[in-house]
Amino acid sequence: MNDAIVHSVEFDRERCIACVACCKACPTQAIRVRERQVALDPDRCIDCGECIRACPYDAVSARTSSPSDLKKFKYTVAIPSTTLFSQFGGEVHPSQIAHALTRIGFDRVHDVSWMCEMVGRAVDTYLSECREPWPKISVTCPAVIRLIQIRYPDLVPHLLPIESPRELAAKLVRRRVSQELGLKAQDIGIFYLTPCSAIMHSILWPVGLDESHLDGAFSVAEIYGPLRKAIEEGDRDAAGFEFSPKGLQWAMAGGETAMMRTRNTLAISGTQDVTYVFDRIESGKFRGVDFIEAYICPDGCVSGPLLVEGRYAAKRTIREVVSRLGARTPVQEEKVRSLWHEHFFDMEEEVKARPVRAPARDLREAVRLKQEKDRLVASLPRKDCAACGAPTCQALAEDVLHGAASTDDCVFVRLERLASPSAGPGEEAPSSSGAGEGGGRATPPRPGEGT
Amino acid sequence: MNDSGAQGEVLYRESYGITGNDFEHGGDVATRVKSVLKELGIDSATVRRLSIANFEAEMNVIMYAERATLDLTVSRDEIRVAVTDRGPGIPDVEQAMQEGFSTATSQMRSRGFGAGMGLPNMKRNTDRFEVESVPGRGTTLRYAVRLVSAGAA
Repeated sequence: MNDAIVHSVEFDRERCIACVACCKACPTQAIRVRERQVALDPDRCIDCGECIRACPYDAVSARTSSPSDLKKFKYTVAIPSTTLFSQFGGEVHPSQIAHALTRIGFDRVHDVSWMCEMVGRAVDTYLSECREPWPKISVTCPAVIRLIQIRYPDLVPHLLPIESPRELAAKLVRRRVSQELGLKAQDIGIFYLTPCSAIMHSILWPVGLDESHLDGAFSVAEIYGPLRKAIEEGDRDAAGFEFSPKGLQWAMAGGETAMMRTRNTLAISGTQDVTYVFDRIESGKFRGVDFIEAYICPDGCVSGPLLVEGRYAAKRTIREVVSRLGARTPVQEEKVRSLWHEHFFDMEEEVKARPVRAPARDLREAVRLKQEKDRLVASLPRKDCAACGAPTCQALAEDVLHGAASTDDCVFVRLERLASPSAGPGEEAPSSSGAGEGGGRATPPRPGEGT
Repeated sequence: MNDSGAQGEVLYRESYGITGNDFEHGGDVATRVKSVLKELGIDSATVRRLSIANFEAEMNVIMYAERATLDLTVSRDEIRVAVTDRGPGIPDVEQAMQEGFSTATSQMRSRGFGAGMGLPNMKRNTDRFEVESVPGRGTTLRYAVRLVSAGAA
């Protein structure tokens, strides 16, 4: 996949009031608000959906499939994320939800939880055979993979070379439906019911495989209403589907490692904790750990930005659902082994680093730029208020160096200038020499600019 | 500009303080140095090797010494680090350089420190590595990684 990056995250220019909530929330500093417009850097965005969560005006959303997409196929299959079963309370059996899905427009429902369990076993096998570098890092969260690609290129070799359960489930069900019904592979539409924008992005622009096995995804929040109604109208018959209780736990951080043979694992979640741990793995810490399960969303997929239920309630529900299902497992060890030998679980392509910052051609020039940036940062208030439209004073300084902003964009710099209009280059006031633009922007604030 | 001797000319220099027993901030200096080097566009493999050494050095100070200074020096052909501490010193440097030798208490080990790989691991990850220690006074570690691509052309 070398084409231009396709993101799932979208901004509604009508609803956006150009506040900076998204800009401050973005873990990769991909968002700027300039000229009362929000701008996304496509190379930095990892589609984690923090902006969707942060926006108070509902102006950020995830591009997902629409009902008309279903009409493009002769036969449609829904693969619900394990998180779907955390949305309707512990009284509702996963089979009721699966049956209800067939009543709102899908021809078939395919469970992913048993594939989660199979992949878990495959990871176990892999960990017992693989070599350095340690620790291995899970690839379940697409936003984590992308974060590593752009910000931690050196951790790319730590990523498991094993495909995610949702892609493998889609691969398998397409084969099966095609054989059973004699349909051409392209006539079968397979749609994921996703808790997040990152998974939608991974379908539009996959990493580790050439083309996604999924044809699209619907947001859980979008189908929630009709689905809830269909569940209430349907009978409480729980037959017809078999779920893996172990696999269902993948909805929460810790679910993946809970079923592993090795106990020498960590489960980390939330951007802050993930970057904290990744920073330290880069410095050689955590070498003694076998496996790290990492999610951008706090507590894992249960807090995905496209879910309805709050994460604590969702976690309680999943635990209840799992305990009601009991300890049975639909997964046979021999089946996993034979698929393992077929290389069924392998990622098709190598994941490659995609660092945002190009290595400097000239070290002297790089040092000069850094020193200039440090000087700029020192001249800024360092309140990281983001009123200028950059998330931090550091980010504004970088933008100024790249000619994309001016220190005059800083409210405090402008206030200071107003207070001492005579401030010349000799004083503390920052020079705008490196800015390239913004010469005319220093003068009186435009009307209506106050918030 | 004077081009002669440009290879060894210091382009960037910064010092960082490390405080003994400050486990709370363990790893912070190594992380800060790493982000500076990344900012300078140093290739990630080199940054990583040096970061591993810095992390070990920092944790050694926190575990055993009173305080130390880490001096970072970047020139065109290499990145040098000197970690000078005031502390108990290392009585037998040769022994400390052996794989597996550690004086860490079991409590420290259970927290993931002092697996006995400190100095040898630093040596493995650097291109030059020297230890100078005066028992009762302190230890100075000097190490460096070469910058391959820079300076060519």
